[in-house]
Amino acid sequence: MRIERRLQQPWWLAVVVPIASLVVAFVLSAVVLLLTGHPPIRSFHRLFDAAFIAHGALSETVVSATPLAFTGLAAAVAFRMNLFNIGGEGQLYGGAITGAIVALLMAGAPSPLVIAGMVAAGAVGGALLAAIPAVLRAFFSTNEIITSLMLNYVVGLVLEYLIFDSHSYLRDTSGFQASVFPQGKSLPSEATWSSWSVHSVALPLGFLLAIGVAVVVWVLYARTRFGFEVQVIADAPRAGRYAGMRTRRKILAVMCLSGAIAGIGGASQDGDFRHQLDPRGLRQANYGYTGIVVAALARYNPLAVVPVALLLGGLQNAGFALQGVDFPNGLVGVMQGLILFCVLGGELFVRYRVRFERGPRVTKSPAPEPTP
Amino acid sequence: MTKRKFGFALPLALAAALILALGVSTGSARTQKKAAALKAAWMYVGPHNDNGWSQAHDKGRLYVQAQLGSKVETTYKELVPEGPQTTQVIESLIRDGNKIIFATSFGFQPAMVAAAKKYPDVKFEMATGTAQSANMAEYFGAGEDGIYLSGMAAGAATKKGVIGYVVPFPIPEIIRHANAFALGAQATHPGARIRLIWTNAWLDLGKEKKAAQSLVAAGADVLGQNVDSPATGQFAESKGVPWVGYDSDAHTFAPKQWLTASIYNWGPYYLRKVKALLNGTWKTNFYYGSLKDGMIGLAPYGPKVSAKTKAAIARKKQALINGKFYEFAGPLYDQKGKLRVPKGKRLTVKDLYAINWLVRGVIGSAKG
Repeated sequence: MRIERRLQQPWWLAVVVPIASLVVAFVLSAVVLLLTGHPPIRSFHRLFDAAFIAHGALSETVVSATPLAFTGLAAAVAFRMNLFNIGGEGQLYGGAITGAIVALLMAGAPSPLVIAGMVAAGAVGGALLAAIPAVLRAFFSTNEIITSLMLNYVVGLVLEYLIFDSHSYLRDTSGFQASVFPQGKSLPSEATWSSWSVHSVALPLGFLLAIGVAVVVWVLYARTRFGFEVQVIADAPRAGRYAGMRTRRKILAVMCLSGAIAGIGGASQDGDFRHQLDPRGLRQANYGYTGIVVAALARYNPLAVVPVALLLGGLQNAGFALQGVDFPNGLVGVMQGLILFCVLGGELFVRYRVRFERGPRVTKSPAPEPTP
Repeated sequence: MTKRKFGFALPLALAAALILALGVSTGSARTQKKAAALKAAWMYVGPHNDNGWSQAHDKGRLYVQAQLGSKVETTYKELVPEGPQTTQVIESLIRDGNKIIFATSFGFQPAMVAAAKKYPDVKFEMATGTAQSANMAEYFGAGEDGIYLSGMAAGAATKKGVIGYVVPFPIPEIIRHANAFALGAQATHPGARIRLIWTNAWLDLGKEKKAAQSLVAAGADVLGQNVDSPATGQFAESKGVPWVGYDSDAHTFAPKQWLTASIYNWGPYYLRKVKALLNGTWKTNFYYGSLKDGMIGLAPYGPKVSAKTKAAIARKKQALINGKFYEFAGPLYDQKGKLRVPKGKRLTVKDLYAINWLVRGVIGSAKG
């Protein structure tokens, strides 16, 4: 048996492989479920019901998907240039901090202005943080994986410091409630981002922004000279240099763009959902790291990031709906893991094909369908 | 080759079909049986079997289920993160038909308050919180009284007079617990010092173990804790250091070094409130349980607690119950030796809910 790269990828593979992957995931999970004494069809029905079908489920999935779309895009933008920005987590915190500061400072101004200010501040906050590993990489060839990863912890501690260990501008210090548990100041009502309802599905502004960002990034990478140069530098850095492309500038630009997107995701957490700087909630959520999974599943294609974020957000939600007395949380994790594993593993069959050989004779068979 | 592939797929498909048929039949049978029961749900910040805080609540849930049998169908959601996800979990619980929801971590409060406004027909119960409304009750217990008694066991066990205490967040709840622990330890070992390490998490096994390690390295010869998991105890057992737990009886994690723990017995409260909802007499409340009503208790002692200590603790427990003794009565001094509560005065529950200073003999900062 041999695995070889496909020279061309037939169009139907992009449809058949994901479906087949889901079927395989279903069969594998069914075995696990049966062994542990749970009804598989009912479990799967509940999983998808809670994620996408039940009344209000899709709105909640969008809530989970919004930050993942931002961090997924942030990762996709950088990874496409082989810049491994693992710092989406910290850049999201950064955007949440700057976004909250601007929201509090601009209290009283017209709401659209405040919201625009928060988006801009979030972008700047994230970009500034990403600029640190970017400069180190561009000028000192430091490994950006390490530096951006380490910065996550630094920003995470700063975030906690602002609310738990100091009387910062962002911390609420008035009232009984605030004396019981440290919390961020409530953001003014002008800083609440709008939300639209389409067929009873609530679409928060942040989610629409994420779609907008995805389109912009796609155009940037597929239709502009900047995008072309980024691809050349990614695939053949030396060729890029001979052609006179400015590698350092591209590294700075791409990392800052990546950080800015994650930062807007942080501002969206403030404005769309939490309405205060919430260090514990943000740190528990791991949006930045999950975003890397989103980007990988989307094969760094910005347009695919949003649907993948919806899938992952839905799975996350459904996990909580499924777990309970007769359904342990670990089993939920196994099901989620199997689905992700199979969908990711299925990718292999899009890009490669398996050839079976027996003896010296090479069998000429049609491209086999994917099997586990 | 194609032939081989199908040979593999066919049994698999058959197996799948069989499984599905089985799944559908058992699934529908279950829904029919429990259709009439009242649905009640619990939300935990950690795993339901954390051998600490969340497990104590889950024991309470099981108690309700056992007492009321088929009249009630209880469930729980564990490891629920704070923020938008809390709201989602509450929404999905309500969608599933739960009529009363017990939230057992302070961080769930904003989402609970919002849900209580949105769903006036559902009853919300918030442990350790502060926001009460018509359909949202608050409940907690004077854990400090039990912790004072467990502190006495720690004080009796220390030789060097240095006790390590692993604590989560520098908030009033934990500060009053740490104070009670210190006062209890000083009652059996005058001048005992309590060294704090904050983990900034309710449940983080790695951080808790590391904190325990640092405390022992810093000279502590007894360990105590206010965090949720028994990781401190496991480390204590491995080092031969006596250990005082918290929330649940976790002596199995340190059979030799276990002293005791202040534990919560949530069951009777849960039973009362669920029963009230069944009878249509549910009312909101701000309930603060005590040693007297049994919400607070002391776990069974380990082998290292002497008969003398046991007797002393029993006397103090009786005094706490009949009101002859109160650990937060003056004179109380803070870490710098300043008199905070003069003789004849005492801290009220409201004072304790906002306390932000540590008593004399505690080493560590009330700011984390």
